[in-house]
Amino acid sequence: MARIRLHRLTKSFGTVQAVKGVDLEIEDGELLALLGPSGCGKTTILLMLAGIYRPTSGDIFFDDQRVNDVPPKGRGVGLVFQSYALYPHMTVYDNIAFPLRLRKVSREEMDRRVREVARIAQIEELLQRKPSQLSGGQQQRVALCRALVKEPDLLLLDEPLSNLDARLRIETRTEIKRLQRQLGITTILVTHDQVEAMTMADRVAVMRAGLIEQLSTPIELYERPANLFVASFIGDPPMNLLPMEYRPDGGKPQLVNSHLSVSLPEAARAGLEQSSSNAVVLGVRPEDIRLVPEPVDGMPAGEVFMLEPLGRDTLVDVRVGQQPIRVLVPGGTEIRPGTRVWLQWDWDRQHLFDARTEARLGVNADAGRPAAAG
Amino acid sequence: MSRSQKVALFVLFLPALIITVVFYVIPAVMTAAMSFTDMDFRLRWNFVGFATFARMFEDFLLPRILQNTIVYTFLTLAFFNVGLAVLLALVTSYVPERVGRVFQALWLLPRFTPPIVYGIIWMWILDPTRAGLLNGLLALTGARPVNWMTDYPMATIVVTNGIIGASFGMVIFYSAIKSIPRDYQWAALADGATWPQQVRYITLPLIRWPLLFVTAYQTLSLLTSYEYILIITGGGPYFATTVWSLYAYNMAFGGYFANYEFGYGAALSIVLVILGTVASIVYWRVFRFREMMAEPKIEVM
Amino acid sequence: MARTVQAEPSRPQPAAGRYNAQAVRREERLVTAAVYTFLVLVSLPLAVGYGWLLLNSFSTELAHGVWPSGFTTRHWRFLFEPPSPYYPDLWRTTWNTLWLAVGMTITMVAVSTPTAYVLSRMKFRGRNAFLALTLVLHAFPGITLLIATYYVLRWLGLLNSIPGVFLVKAALMLPLGIWVMKGFYDGISWDVEMSALVDGASRIQTWYKVMLPQVLPGIASISIFSFIYGWSEYIYVITFIQDKNAWTLSSYINAIVGDFRFLDYGLLSATALFYIAPVLLFFIFTQKYLMRVTIGGTKGGS
Repeated sequence: MARIRLHRLTKSFGTVQAVKGVDLEIEDGELLALLGPSGCGKTTILLMLAGIYRPTSGDIFFDDQRVNDVPPKGRGVGLVFQSYALYPHMTVYDNIAFPLRLRKVSREEMDRRVREVARIAQIEELLQRKPSQLSGGQQQRVALCRALVKEPDLLLLDEPLSNLDARLRIETRTEIKRLQRQLGITTILVTHDQVEAMTMADRVAVMRAGLIEQLSTPIELYERPANLFVASFIGDPPMNLLPMEYRPDGGKPQLVNSHLSVSLPEAARAGLEQSSSNAVVLGVRPEDIRLVPEPVDGMPAGEVFMLEPLGRDTLVDVRVGQQPIRVLVPGGTEIRPGTRVWLQWDWDRQHLFDARTEARLGVNADAGRPAAAG
Repeated sequence: MSRSQKVALFVLFLPALIITVVFYVIPAVMTAAMSFTDMDFRLRWNFVGFATFARMFEDFLLPRILQNTIVYTFLTLAFFNVGLAVLLALVTSYVPERVGRVFQALWLLPRFTPPIVYGIIWMWILDPTRAGLLNGLLALTGARPVNWMTDYPMATIVVTNGIIGASFGMVIFYSAIKSIPRDYQWAALADGATWPQQVRYITLPLIRWPLLFVTAYQTLSLLTSYEYILIITGGGPYFATTVWSLYAYNMAFGGYFANYEFGYGAALSIVLVILGTVASIVYWRVFRFREMMAEPKIEVM
Repeated sequence: MARTVQAEPSRPQPAAGRYNAQAVRREERLVTAAVYTFLVLVSLPLAVGYGWLLLNSFSTELAHGVWPSGFTTRHWRFLFEPPSPYYPDLWRTTWNTLWLAVGMTITMVAVSTPTAYVLSRMKFRGRNAFLALTLVLHAFPGITLLIATYYVLRWLGLLNSIPGVFLVKAALMLPLGIWVMKGFYDGISWDVEMSALVDGASRIQTWYKVMLPQVLPGIASISIFSFIYGWSEYIYVITFIQDKNAWTLSSYINAIVGDFRFLDYGLLSATALFYIAPVLLFFIFTQKYLMRVTIGGTKGGS
């Protein structure tokens, strides 16, 4: 168990800067997710934590001790690769026992620990098999055991669910979370799948191009994304993002673009005034929009273009002018393409962003979490 | 088959067919036939049945030569062509790539040096007088010069051939090591393995197939190699370093006989081919090469 | 699949002596030192050997066999006058060597390139048989065929000639050349070829205009190999070429070794250097292509 702190961490490969200066503090026993698209630097950070990469500049602290110069062997880190990297020529037992064998642990002790961790992960019957004889889910549990058997202070998981099929994913993520809670090990999870991050992590750091864009709990990320990138990344189906122009004069504040216009209450003016220019982006989630058959004052109207039935919900593609806006309605709703509808949403469910800086425009000044430091 | 295909086949394939048949197949068949004759420089086909083979049993030199061949092949294979090759591959993959490439180029030089020149360098190193390298260095300590080639003939041919042979394995093992997926190395690092431990538990087991292949292939190469032995020791002193292939060559073209005894030489060659074939079959079985052909073995080889 | 959760509290204990960088780093440094020591020691003889050639050709004498005592260029006089009257002209010999190397290269490329195409891309009866044949032939290395080859060359009237040697050597190296080129052809997608055929090209035109340009790297690799081996050839030249006018540098140096071996190391080194310098430089500059060949086909070398 360990408290981890990253201080102004950077990593360059030749002329390419993969990590551009990251500050992060992870509590003992916490499960933190590093979430972002490929190439954002999350795996690089993971490998630096493991000691496989050395930081170009900046520091890594385990429990206030600087570990930059400590090689992987001395860090007490368990690492589970996306590919699992199970040694193909060894049995499951030998794979799990390997870290202990390297440390010259006694036979009895080694056996005890391997069997115990195998029992916790429920793979005892598989101990004599070879990795090629295991399914993907089983391989992953073996990889986890190998990481856990040395009782690490820090557990690192690289895209743990991405190689599993959809069904298995749901079961496995519960498993991993349960295990982590039970053992209380500080864990860092790297993923590009926001569902994975949101469902498993205590906190999520959303990353882009080597920097952390926002660090919050999952709910906070969903409710108050700090910028356009986070807003578009979190949430499935993704948030509708509409570039608009703010018209401050003449009565109520208005947002206008070539396809539609929206009237906002007076209370919204304060936030809009924070924008560096009149170009703003209006964000509203499909699940927050309602379709009504009659005109609504100040709200746009459009025509139903296409339906995507998802079972529990139906995703409706509404065209306002040429602008597509997607709306999530309950599955059984009767609706047909070509129908004229009005869109309605609560103005405090919408998000406003400065189109130039991409930052969130708070309703009250500083009401939202600031975009995390880089 | 369309007409254009037939023409293409004819034009494109014919040169190879001709050359292979004239310079490869015909000589092979002829050698087999020759071994049943007592042909000499007069090139007369005088069939004598198995007489030439029978002669082998009476040849008092052959047991010694067979022993030389086995000892030489085994020692060179174990210590150089496989042993040193593995070590070289391991260390050149450990150091930074540029450094590794420089050393690999150095070790490949002997292979591409004209044999006579390679021989010259060794003849100087092993020169029995003070002018040679080893004896020159020895003189610094006041010791008397040693006649390396006559006192340690087997060691001489093993080392000189081995240094050339090691580069083949080195290149193959190096590429095999480099193609081990990086994840395994990282996993081993995270598990706490030092580099020697990685080599023992991960790297070596994963290059098993290339190792077996090189062993089998180089056995055949060593059985049939004689060029460097001819140049450096000439097979001496007194046949101490004459191996089977060299004996066959000398019988036909040079050495102490220069008899142009083609028939006997051909017979000796045929026996060598049989030896080689038997060895191949044994290796195939023992190493279970069929397995290597069947499954795609990880990503290595 | 229902899974029961085992309640098993086991908080890991903090590891003893944690985050100790010193011991581990020291261990790493030791390994690195050992590796470099081994590498340098084991490669020393090689470096010394080649360095000696260079040194010796310009020194009057090497004390203790190693240390040069004086600078001289007299060893290099062989460039202008033969070491003894019965030696052939050096430049003629060099030209022969070049002719041998080039002849070998041309033959190898000219024969293996089209053949490999046929074996890689065309279906015909006996295809598998020929492929197997090339492999089997490798069990008959040069030595066993030397005698019969003598006979064949004599019958063809090619004894004592350079073409005789390079034709035979090319034939022996052919299996290697074919397998390497075939590897390159195999790597080209079928689509390109099919388009050519659909566009109306005959099989030969397809090969010539479409496939050939794409296997140029393979041709380069084979050419380099063939040239180097051709230039270095020793046994076949010694055995089959007695006519001094057809000698190559191999035979020339062989004679020098016989005559001057214990008398004049300087001359020996100078001639040796003269012989190997071109091909070694050639090798060093083309090393990249060679590595690609041996790695790609797991073949190559003796």
